[in-house]
Amino acid sequence: MLIIEIWASFMVLFGVLSLIVYNVSNYIQPIGFEYDRVWNLQLTNNQDTVAVADKMHRIVQQIKSNREVESLSRMSSNSPFSANQMMNGVTYKKVSISPEFFYTDENFSKTMDLPVVTGKWFTESDRVSKFTPIVINSKLEEILFINESPLGKVIKVDDKKSFKVVGVVDKFKSKGEFANDTPALFEMLSKDDTWSTNVLIKTKAGVDANFEAKLVKELAATLPGWGIEVSYLTEQRKNRHNLTLVPVAIFLIISAFLLTNVALGLFGILNLNIAKRKNEIGLRRAMGATERAVTKQFLGEIWVLATLSVIIGLLFAIQFPIMHVFDLNANVYMTAIVIAIALIFIIVTLCAWYPSRQASKIHPALALHED
Amino acid sequence: MLINYLKIAWKVLLRHPFYTFITLFGISLTLTVLMVLTSFLDHLFGSHYPENKRFRTLYIANMLQTDSANTSMSSGPASFRFLEKYAKSLKTPENVAIVSNFSFSNTYVNGKRIKINTKYTDASFWKVADFEFLEGKPYNEQNIKNGDYVAVITDDLRDQYFEKGTLALGKFIDIENINYRVIGVVKGSPPTRLYTYGDVYFPYTAPKSNYQNKGIRGSYISMVLAKTIEDIPAIQSEFDNNISRIPKEEIRDASHYTVLTVKALRYFDHFLDTFARDDSQKVFFYSIAGLILVMIMGLPAINLVNVNVSRILERASEIGVRKAFGAPAKALLWQFIIENIFITVVGGLFAIIFSFVIISMINSSGWIAYADLTINFPVFVISIFICLIFGFLSGVLPAFRMSKLKIVDALKA
Repeated sequence: MLIIEIWASFMVLFGVLSLIVYNVSNYIQPIGFEYDRVWNLQLTNNQDTVAVADKMHRIVQQIKSNREVESLSRMSSNSPFSANQMMNGVTYKKVSISPEFFYTDENFSKTMDLPVVTGKWFTESDRVSKFTPIVINSKLEEILFINESPLGKVIKVDDKKSFKVVGVVDKFKSKGEFANDTPALFEMLSKDDTWSTNVLIKTKAGVDANFEAKLVKELAATLPGWGIEVSYLTEQRKNRHNLTLVPVAIFLIISAFLLTNVALGLFGILNLNIAKRKNEIGLRRAMGATERAVTKQFLGEIWVLATLSVIIGLLFAIQFPIMHVFDLNANVYMTAIVIAIALIFIIVTLCAWYPSRQASKIHPALALHED
Repeated sequence: MLINYLKIAWKVLLRHPFYTFITLFGISLTLTVLMVLTSFLDHLFGSHYPENKRFRTLYIANMLQTDSANTSMSSGPASFRFLEKYAKSLKTPENVAIVSNFSFSNTYVNGKRIKINTKYTDASFWKVADFEFLEGKPYNEQNIKNGDYVAVITDDLRDQYFEKGTLALGKFIDIENINYRVIGVVKGSPPTRLYTYGDVYFPYTAPKSNYQNKGIRGSYISMVLAKTIEDIPAIQSEFDNNISRIPKEEIRDASHYTVLTVKALRYFDHFLDTFARDDSQKVFFYSIAGLILVMIMGLPAINLVNVNVSRILERASEIGVRKAFGAPAKALLWQFIIENIFITVVGGLFAIIFSFVIISMINSSGWIAYADLTINFPVFVISIFICLIFGFLSGVLPAFRMSKLKIVDALKA
């Protein structure tokens, strides 16, 4: 029965730790851009379908003319920390992959402080002939370009459309710190684009909601019938984080309570078991065993039990990295297994320590007398 | 006899306070977790304000478009026209409401921004959802027909936008440079009720609602209220029938998707449907949920059984004496069962107190606005039932083993 209990605790620990290790390993990778003073202006044209592209151009110029604005950039609806995703297939030398597509303009790198590692960010002058200029992230570079420079290479979308790579950025974790670094590419917005109606505005330091109210009022006057919504990237980031943190917190609380329960129970059981073996301990002490030797014996016994349970647990846990359950990196599971084993042994040792110490202190004369 | 058993149980509990504490801790915390969890699930899926009639409401929230080869797909809410044509026309239901999915907007007061959740609804919405009107009344068909700039707002928005303590009825609220007249103020609902939650409700003919959109996809969902629960299958088959008669050209809708799947589902089914589309995924979902539940309850149960088994050996001599004086095995069995039920009930009482404290903490913490988690009757009954299962699991098994001991062995120990 003890084995089942320790095994079950191991499985619970393994599950929760996998979740935590996954999120922590994502968290320690930087998101790659700055969001502090960036506002996300989401426009929706609703029933107004006349000359949308022209209106977007005019709006961008209008916002830019405010001195509170440091830089701004148009973007597709999958703006940083939003819930939207846009995946499309691309092919290079028979390797096909579906990276996330971000449609944006030449100011994006400046607005989001997204440094370009190799090459440069695209500008209007890169739009030559039939190729649309793109910037890719290093994750996509790793997959498509092994041992060659990606600059100037042509990636195919379909028969009608091809991209030319002009630059590489390191990381762009648009879904926040807890997200995985996935392949992504930035495509330059075409001049007549009517879909990408998000505008990212980097404000100067110290700009507050008064400017925001003024801006919205102006825009509403220029664009009757359009939906206008402003949110701060810092707020959106917090919302995204809660999506990850709330479930983790709930699992953490539940498993902490489970383990406390198990630890208390283990402690009680060991206490009783050892109390029952008083004679045996007395005899060993009388034969000259030291206190340390007695403590060691009981700790050793529980370690054997724990090892057995962990081995059974490993048989189950090892299936996860082997079968690629939930598509997680095998390292995540391995780290979780190692930490779980360590924690199990710590808990077991802590629970066995006090009863073993008590047992070792039993005076042989007393223990032998009782029988 | 029973009183005697209870007296013995009480004395036994007091004899080793530490073990009693372990047992009580296990029982009460397990039950607390279970009760808070069920209460939360009930909050998410049960029928509560303002969707008090959710148990007899069907939701048409998601439509799935696939191409004939089933290689690509697209899914999302329907357009207003689609729902008006195929859901509003249903004959069996009591009422059909069309509501926009959530959308956001901002309004500004004194240099401060208020983020608001906007909703566009038809007049039936106010009959399908039971909102409590603190001021005024909902908009009616006439308002919708005239395209009036009127709005129903929540008490929370009223207090933020207008001065606290004043009435808002008849005043104007400026949202994106359009002034809407406040026609009613309702008590707000928690954001976990996705289809009724909002800060401000507009008639669907108000600007920016996009109800004119052509095509079958859009941003609207439908709540279909059945007269009784028994009517639900009839409504579903009527709706399925309506859908099956949609002409091919309308489904194609300028896209390459030729197959349309859209169903009127009960709330929980519709929720499950969004991430588990076929039966095998549903089985997967249920087995994961079952596994978590087994872990949550199984571990403390094993723990409890372990502690009890170990402790009962300690009482072997007591059992020996009772057996020597002629107590039958049945009597001993009963004594242990009652002892265990006793401690489980005590643990259950603690659990109810803990859950009550935790739930009122969640409600008042503002973690979910307008949270209305309650310890309700079904949750309580389930918990007590689980209490008893725990009692039997950890009571019957050790007691059964004990009562079969030979008198000599029992006395010797």
